Amino acid sequence: MAMRDLVTGGAACAVPGTAASSSNPFGALANAILGSSSKTQELKGLPGSAVNVPGPSSDFRTEAPLTTIPGLENEGQQHHQPVGQNYEFLAGFRTADHGVLADAWNEIHQPPALQTQGGKIEAQFQEFEQIYNRGANSILPPAWDGPPQGVLSRFLHSFVDSGRAGVPFRPAALPVLGLSEGDKQCIRDRSFIMAHHIFADKSEEYINAQVNALLHSLDIDGNERLRGPIRGSYPELEEYWTESQGALRSGMPSPADKWVSEFARQRENGDPEAWAHSFEQLHGTNGWASEFEHEQSQLASVGQVRGANMSHIAAMEQSRMLAHTLAQNTDPKFQNSKFLQFVSKMSRGELIVDENQIKPATGSLTDNWADEYQAQYNAGSSSWADQFVRQDLPQGTDKWVNEFVKENQQQGVDDQWVNEFSKLHVQDWAEEFGQQVAEGALGDSTADDWANTYENFLDEQLLASKQHSGASRGVYVFSDMNPYVGHPNPLREGQELFRKGLLSEAVLALEAEVLKNPDNAEGWRLLGITHAENDDDQQAIAAMMRAQEVDPTNLEVLLALGVSHTNELEQPEALRYLYKWLQNHPKYGVLATPELADSPYYGDVARLFNEAAQMSPEDADVHIVLGVLYNLSREYDKAIESFQTALNLKPRDYSLWNKLGATRANSIQSADAILAYQQALDLKPNYVRAWANMGISYANQGLYEQSIRYYVRALAMNPKADNAWQYLRISLSCASRNDMFEACDSRNLDILQKEFPL
Amino acid sequence: MESSLQSAGLLEQMKLHLSTDAGKEITKKIGLVYQLNIAPKKIGVDEEIFVVDLKQGKVTKGPYNGKPDATFSFTDKDFLSIATGKMNPQIAFIRGAMKIKGSISAAQKFTPEIFPKPSKL
Repeated sequence: MAMRDLVTGGAACAVPGTAASSSNPFGALANAILGSSSKTQELKGLPGSAVNVPGPSSDFRTEAPLTTIPGLENEGQQHHQPVGQNYEFLAGFRTADHGVLADAWNEIHQPPALQTQGGKIEAQFQEFEQIYNRGANSILPPAWDGPPQGVLSRFLHSFVDSGRAGVPFRPAALPVLGLSEGDKQCIRDRSFIMAHHIFADKSEEYINAQVNALLHSLDIDGNERLRGPIRGSYPELEEYWTESQGALRSGMPSPADKWVSEFARQRENGDPEAWAHSFEQLHGTNGWASEFEHEQSQLASVGQVRGANMSHIAAMEQSRMLAHTLAQNTDPKFQNSKFLQFVSKMSRGELIVDENQIKPATGSLTDNWADEYQAQYNAGSSSWADQFVRQDLPQGTDKWVNEFVKENQQQGVDDQWVNEFSKLHVQDWAEEFGQQVAEGALGDSTADDWANTYENFLDEQLLASKQHSGASRGVYVFSDMNPYVGHPNPLREGQELFRKGLLSEAVLALEAEVLKNPDNAEGWRLLGITHAENDDDQQAIAAMMRAQEVDPTNLEVLLALGVSHTNELEQPEALRYLYKWLQNHPKYGVLATPELADSPYYGDVARLFNEAAQMSPEDADVHIVLGVLYNLSREYDKAIESFQTALNLKPRDYSLWNKLGATRANSIQSADAILAYQQALDLKPNYVRAWANMGISYANQGLYEQSIRYYVRALAMNPKADNAWQYLRISLSCASRNDMFEACDSRNLDILQKEFPL
Repeated sequence: MESSLQSAGLLEQMKLHLSTDAGKEITKKIGLVYQLNIAPKKIGVDEEIFVVDLKQGKVTKGPYNGKPDATFSFTDKDFLSIATGKMNPQIAFIRGAMKIKGSISAAQKFTPEIFPKPSKL
């Protein structure tokens, strides 16, 4: 049987009559390895870059940066596999650069199992012929033996392939893989997220069925939701667990990690970052957690007490235990690892976690106040909240406040909240409050409300240390536990993932790239764009700024910065970047006058852009920039006109449809906005920003139930979209779905998705 | 409304929003007048004053001609955080990020729900 017949599903093949490669397992495999037949076009169209991959196609062209667009004509057509093209690229395949393709083969086949390192392609084909001839219904050969990681990775790959080929996935009987609960949890979470991306255009039931098939084979219960390795019987410990996760974020793989690579990466190249994985594998994600559990049961008396400093204490406790555990491992790699040192420092209090960043500890961490507070709280009836409630309110307020202020002065405490609070003319506030109460403006229940609110406030302190803090503006925050670090070519991987619409994964790969090559402008630029599409303007700005540092004249970067600043309502910055776009443009740069550069006045800039538009009305980009400019000045009609002109020139630019939609929405044409967003989503189903914008448009029209569904969908694709979480909560409240508050606050997507499917 | 504050953008959107059906629902539901004293960096310093009139359904710049039901003072960033749901107004109050004058019950109705959300380009 000729190679070509195999791939193109010729008559001799066992599965005739169907589209060439969608049910032909080998074709699907080849596609998965080399990308779909439209891959060459995909590569050509990567946003803004001239792609230099020595690929199988001979018709690759270099694009001028301006005319390439994010998103492609052929984006949505991955399942159409015309026979001719397969043939063509296979021919090219034979003659192509073996090195590159060997890499691609290797990525699918883990070295231990098949020894394909630098192997000849012919040999591999032969192997596949044999495998195929053995006859199989599953996409990869039923050789489910070998090292568990190899088996698992092949199995997971076959899931991905089946997804791409549009074939329903078959559960397969696998040997016992020895997955720990933590691993299963991880696989489960990631499968859902990945499935949502891969099957973005399919129905919810299909997605669930697929994932359940996958999980079933792996013997993971898809419905049971464990929160970390600690079982639900220790609720306080669970709280501590989540706190410590926020504080340390170590040892627990986050759902965003690429699960296949995680399990496949057995290679210990002596790469310092690989220790994290080997640690997990040695100890299991349960290892130090069970030790921790043990210790925690001794600390359990702490109960409900929380406070900003308590989380520091907790963090220190945990780091001490972690350091202890690690130190007990006599492997010299651990002893010397930076992580161990880091953890030791944390436990000694030399470093603290502040607002999601690690800082050297300033001032004392002796936390006398927190201890005393704890003691007071545990004393139950003497807790100040109760005191407050019981006492006569007007005098009570003053008394409490005085007590508190006195205490504060005695302790000389370094607690942020307390300082802020005492600095604010506490007496004035208390007087006002007391007055209000005396005037009877407060209802009967407000005393309780007040105490509740205080509790909530303390919760918020905790949450604030976990959340992405707005204070660290302009500083890029890297993800922890990035499985792509150490990858041989993370930029290409990132580009591929972006192409496939797996935005969160692409972020990780691109971060790995810029960690490796901090001067790679393209890496930073694509990272910025990915964040923007994932609806995170803050990170987008941070990444784009780095791109701009490396390459100050890159027009796409300048435009993207203009857009992100516009979204953040930062008019002057937006204007500055849009003006720089003009200045650096080869054609229109002449229009720009240098004196405007520093503090561009809106009127002048607009005038210049209009001149540029007249110079070349066929240039879509000028119109795009004009559209953004008009958004800044809230001349929405003009903005809509500009975007429409641009869309006539570039009708398949999904980001442009989104801009049109957003402009409409901001000028209260929400119904029309939704139509534009739908166009964008047709072109790019995983466009998180567009999903979130749809939610906003429904909410602004008062259609809260609908808005909830769209927010949930956006969040399923990017659980880190903080804005969307906040808006979701507001919509829940407007729709009187307070029963779902807890799910929202705990970011429980499972429940939310079940309750609010699209 | 001429202003260099970020909040101005949101308030402009609010102005438009109040003329829609959803906006009219809000005026029906709340029917109060709020005055917002928004400062660029520090409360009380270089404030710009806006009035969100949820009785008549309009947003204007400048102090209210009359007695507003509640007056709030905050910084530009904090107002945005509250309006977009990033920060709970009660929490803001306790931390002193938001000062209130006037009727507390009126103030309690000042929630993120009344504000339209900005869409992202």
